[in-house]
Amino acid sequence: MENSAPLVVGAIIAIVLQVVVAPFITVLAATPNFLLVYCMLVAVFRGPSAGFILPFVLGLFFDLAGGGPIGAMAFTLVLATFIVSRSYGALANDTLFMALIMLVGGIVIAEVLYGILMIAGGNPATVVEGLMYRCLPCALYDSLLAVVLYLVLSRFFGNGNTSHREATLLH
Amino acid sequence: MALNFQTQEPARRSPLVLIACLVVSLVLMTIYARESSEGPLHSVQAAVETAVAPLGFIGATGDALVNDASDAVANASADPDTLTALQEQNEELRAMVAQAEEYRLEAERLQGLLAMKDAYHVEGVSGRVIGRSYDAWNQTITIDVGSSSGVSSGMTVMGAAGVIGQTVEVAPGSSTVRLLSDPRSGAAAIIQSNRAEGIVRGSLDGLIYLENISADVAVSVGDVVLTSGLGGSYVRGLLIGEVVRVDGNPGDATRRIVVAQNTSAKSLEDVTVVFDADTQATQGGGDS
Repeated sequence: MENSAPLVVGAIIAIVLQVVVAPFITVLAATPNFLLVYCMLVAVFRGPSAGFILPFVLGLFFDLAGGGPIGAMAFTLVLATFIVSRSYGALANDTLFMALIMLVGGIVIAEVLYGILMIAGGNPATVVEGLMYRCLPCALYDSLLAVVLYLVLSRFFGNGNTSHREATLLH
Repeated sequence: MALNFQTQEPARRSPLVLIACLVVSLVLMTIYARESSEGPLHSVQAAVETAVAPLGFIGATGDALVNDASDAVANASADPDTLTALQEQNEELRAMVAQAEEYRLEAERLQGLLAMKDAYHVEGVSGRVIGRSYDAWNQTITIDVGSSSGVSSGMTVMGAAGVIGQTVEVAPGSSTVRLLSDPRSGAAAIIQSNRAEGIVRGSLDGLIYLENISADVAVSVGDVVLTSGLGGSYVRGLLIGEVVRVDGNPGDATRRIVVAQNTSAKSLEDVTVVFDADTQATQGGGDS
């Protein structure tokens, strides 16, 4: 817990970016989700030790302030963090390629899962429409942001994937 | 340093935390889906949206500042000796002009709203747009008038030149408006020229469609679409927009009719929440 301060600061920055910046940098129908990008970055940087409280709280904030069904983004972020952090812990091989695959994969999974929850929650769009007009454009946008941020952050903080295998084995 | 530290302490607790977070999320989703729009979760959501909405204006201001900064960089590249005195004077004048322009634009917008209110004999309350949804799945805006101003859920909301949506969540000092472009919106509508009735719906592709029009009705590009008032969700006789595309022919069951709104919600700053409207006069002796 003593090391959680940087994570909280990062989370606050992500919230501010989401509320202040995201509505103004929408490209066609794609609005960036800085909270999702941040959670995926933390999952990759921290590997199996990434917690679930942070994605839950960020997801809940997104739901409360964004107008979507409450719990949908919280569920999505927690599940995506679990999948990415554990997978990356098991598969990390100290290559940039694997980190980026995990980042992009996690973002695609999260956007598709959120889309399914939105449609299940009463949005009248079909699954194909949801995929074509929201999930994939948003996933592409988020992925670009995540890759750029990962490259920048890994220059300052290292790639963070050392000892992921050891941590996974200890589980 | 900050993000890549490793700890094994959470390992034992993490499965429990994971399950707890997922279960709580599912429970919240279920409650949210089952409660009415005035239920506790919706109320909390409306309050948080209201609290967060003004932050969105920082983004708009930042956008303007970036433009100003670009101008400043261009000016800085000129000869500083000849520009110093003029720059100070210019800054003052620019501030005054910007302020005057802001007042002029505001007056123009309010005049537009007043003209619309006069044209439709609208009774309602005007409000300012204070926030926009950042969730790609929701096409909503937040306005600064709420239940304390007489606004309630389900009221029609108009821009300067037509209907833009409907209030869906109302807090004492603010309301959330679902735009017509949102797939979950649906306004009972009528084509002015032939009185054919249908429903205007938004879609994820960004277009607004006029659906449920009888297959034998001829619809042409340019036909004006108004609210019909059926079902009571929207006030009758208000302008929505006009038909801009018809894919298919009369008799074709899969015909798609695209409607362009008369008011673009993207640049909206002021709106009117309609309590009531006497639209008989504007319909050219329309139906009963």
